[in-house]
Amino acid sequence: MEVDRELVEAAQAGDRWALEELVRRTHRSVYTCALRLVGNPDDAADVTQDVYLRVVRKLGGFRHEASFATWLNRVTTNVAMSTLKRRTRRFAVEVAAVPADTRDPAPEPAERAESVALARRLEQLVARLPEGQRQVLVLRDVYGQSTDEVADAMGLTSGAVKVRLFRARERLKAELEAAEGGQVVALVGRRRATGRRS
Amino acid sequence: MMSCHSVRPLLPARAEELTPLEARMRAEHVAACSRCAAEAAAYSRLGQALAVMAHLEAEPAGGTLERILVVIGRRRTRVTDPRVLAAAGSAGALVATVVVARVLRQRRHAQTAPTAAPWSRRLRLPGVPIPAAALARAK
Repeated sequence: MEVDRELVEAAQAGDRWALEELVRRTHRSVYTCALRLVGNPDDAADVTQDVYLRVVRKLGGFRHEASFATWLNRVTTNVAMSTLKRRTRRFAVEVAAVPADTRDPAPEPAERAESVALARRLEQLVARLPEGQRQVLVLRDVYGQSTDEVADAMGLTSGAVKVRLFRARERLKAELEAAEGGQVVALVGRRRATGRRS
Repeated sequence: MMSCHSVRPLLPARAEELTPLEARMRAEHVAACSRCAAEAAAYSRLGQALAVMAHLEAEPAGGTLERILVVIGRRRTRVTDPRVLAAAGSAGALVATVVVARVLRQRRHAQTAPTAAPWSRRLRLPGVPIPAAALARAK
């Protein structure tokens, strides 16, 4: 998700077109993050809508200290967690949905295609993790939030987050190796060996 | 040096998730143990692959974007439309006027009601002559 600072500032100044453009550019990314966290397309769509309602309310207070993408990701996390708290009170947690058709918005040069293909396969495995483990893994390892930020968003201690992270990574690696016979890890290793970073 | 069993919980962690002591113990063990070194490298690669997921996007169901645009448009209209703000301002001014008028009337009423004092004592406007007939009645 790439967003120009000028566009954000225009939206902050009340430019209606800029705000709508901001939504157009970011809504897929917000929806994907929500889907990974709540594991259900309907709830993810509701979360996405609530995120933008909150963005409209809070955009004036955004001071560009972090990037807009980081800020939007935090808003999404908070809204998704609130939704999950309400949902678990209503009924039992469902099996997480896999983002059905993820696409890479950036052009895919050959060297990037391998890691994108692997990431798509990982998506399926991540979706099958238990909800608590999936959420910490998504926030920490996919979106790069700190363990303290994850703990804060999920209402957990930092220690509890680390325990869940350990279990999620261990399980994911085992399932990945079982599914691909270690080949996937080797693929990423080759990319790393060539010095390219995603 | 720590055993493989002891170092195992430290292998999936990223460097910044470990205390300096844990990081040193892991580094020392991994330097000497090829099996744990391979495990640590595999976790590191897994972390890199997971980070790539952040760039992938799923497509929401049709109509989601349009619904969001409609909803935020309504919310913004409700808050920032100049016509809405003008109407709210007028209504507020009207309410304030009514409230102030009622308070003043109540105050005036409270001052006058308890004592049925002669109007000449109630009304003391400097420079306004008191009618002679009223003055005589008061005396």
